[in-house]
Amino acid sequence: MGATERAGWLPAAGSSDIQVAVPSELALYSDEPPQMRSGTVGKSGYLRLGFERRGDRTILADLYSRTPYLAQRALHCDEALPDMAWLFMINTTGCVLQGDRLRLEVALGADARAHLTTQSATKIHAMDANYAMQTQLLTLEEDSYLEFLPDPIIPHRRARFAADTRIMVAPSASLLYSEIVQPGRKHHRADECFGATLLSFAIHAARPDRSTLFTEKLLMDPARHSMRQAGVMDCFDVFANVILCTPSGNADRIEARVEAEVDLDRGNAYGACRLPNGAGLVYKVLGRETSQVKARVREFWRIAREEITGRAAPVPYLWQ
Amino acid sequence: MKSIDERTAPAVSAEQVAHMLQFGDSMFPIGVFAFSCGLESAVQKGVVRDSLTLLAFTRTAIEQANRGDGIGVLRAHRAALAMDIDEIVRIDHLLFARKLSSETRTMSVRTGKRLTEMGAAVIGSPLVLAWRDRVDAGSTPGCHPVALAVNFAAQALTERDAFVVHQYGVAAAILSAALRLMRIGHVDTQRMLYALNADLDAAYRTAAMARLPDMAGFAPLMEILAAVHVKAHVRLFMN
Repeated sequence: MGATERAGWLPAAGSSDIQVAVPSELALYSDEPPQMRSGTVGKSGYLRLGFERRGDRTILADLYSRTPYLAQRALHCDEALPDMAWLFMINTTGCVLQGDRLRLEVALGADARAHLTTQSATKIHAMDANYAMQTQLLTLEEDSYLEFLPDPIIPHRRARFAADTRIMVAPSASLLYSEIVQPGRKHHRADECFGATLLSFAIHAARPDRSTLFTEKLLMDPARHSMRQAGVMDCFDVFANVILCTPSGNADRIEARVEAEVDLDRGNAYGACRLPNGAGLVYKVLGRETSQVKARVREFWRIAREEITGRAAPVPYLWQ
Repeated sequence: MKSIDERTAPAVSAEQVAHMLQFGDSMFPIGVFAFSCGLESAVQKGVVRDSLTLLAFTRTAIEQANRGDGIGVLRAHRAALAMDIDEIVRIDHLLFARKLSSETRTMSVRTGKRLTEMGAAVIGSPLVLAWRDRVDAGSTPGCHPVALAVNFAAQALTERDAFVVHQYGVAAAILSAALRLMRIGHVDTQRMLYALNADLDAAYRTAAMARLPDMAGFAPLMEILAAVHVKAHVRLFMN
């Protein structure tokens, strides 16, 4: 049995030396780019964020970044939750390229509250060698609350991208985590729609005692498994996966308020399910347009924040 | 490890063939008939509306099982042959943690439990009884793919037999639910079942090479339909 087969495997917080195994679906793409080699300077991004509660607000107590990742300072701009630290994760190259290895580590101390997002969508460019990989470690201590709501991912034609997200969440903490995946630049040219070669999104969540909560691995390989098939994407183009780790009492109230619907005419489908082992909820959304999907994710965010913190979510900015 | 051919082509007695048919029979009373695997909502919402969309929907379910539960069946079968009950339990927990939708989780655990009880009563081998005790004690969820693997290994049926019966069961459950949910005849559903089984050999060969962390899938609409089903006021099938 290989090390990667161990159940509940999760590196300790802040242990940047631990390498996450390369998933087998990427084995075909180990050739090096003719440009700079994979993972070299500028292609090995690292961002470490540590949020801690100090007095009446959450501060960014630990920050380390390496290109192409960049983060500046935490803002306290949320009128409903003035103690909450807002932080924008920046990729200075503007896109994800072949050979990129990105690693993000976020730790929230007890009672800390943070909101993480991006400045813009994450474009994953076309690839003819190697792949891009993103590893994310999210650690939440007791009674902490993290909203992790980045802008959508736009995979270009022939992109090969794998994300491996490890979550360690204390029983009293809450994590709202979303991924929105567009089909590609669908108005650019016809073969851009679901033109990516491989997209892999793995999430593994555990308690601090390493007991597994749930594991999900979404693998989109349109050449082998038709994206348009009934039950998969059908007539929809944009997909969102929202994970909410929260205590059962919160999950009960949120589940009761969140609607489920499949409407082929309007091009919208969404619904929430209870996660195994009392972990919380998973909410999936499909839409023909990104705006529809973003609106549903925002609606789920609004309900989740109200039930978890008793506060309102901010209204969207004009450009959102 | 033995090659695939060695694992799949032992001498199979007529009695074993009969046992495989018995445990793979849709009449086998483990309650699969009570679930529609999201088809009830799919028909209500117009995702499945004719024989073409039904075939595609069933194919999606089989493809999900090919790269998910099917791999679990094979790994659990290998652990069962080695009489490694702790490894079987570990695989069971891994499969359970990957059932993100409450409806599929309920179905897997409920039918798995019935299959375990049936195996203990009908076969009664030490391995099946040891497995049953772990499930009864609540120390393992008892998912259907693992229960199937244990029962097959206990009868000296091969991992390929277990895989085939599992995958056949996925298709048969949806197609038999279709007869009760939409305007479609027995001839059509049997024709579909026959056609879908054409891919079984390739699916087995791929799954036999896969490791447990390779288990993956992507069928978001199916999961949303399961969520719609849980919220629905009127239901013919269980959730």
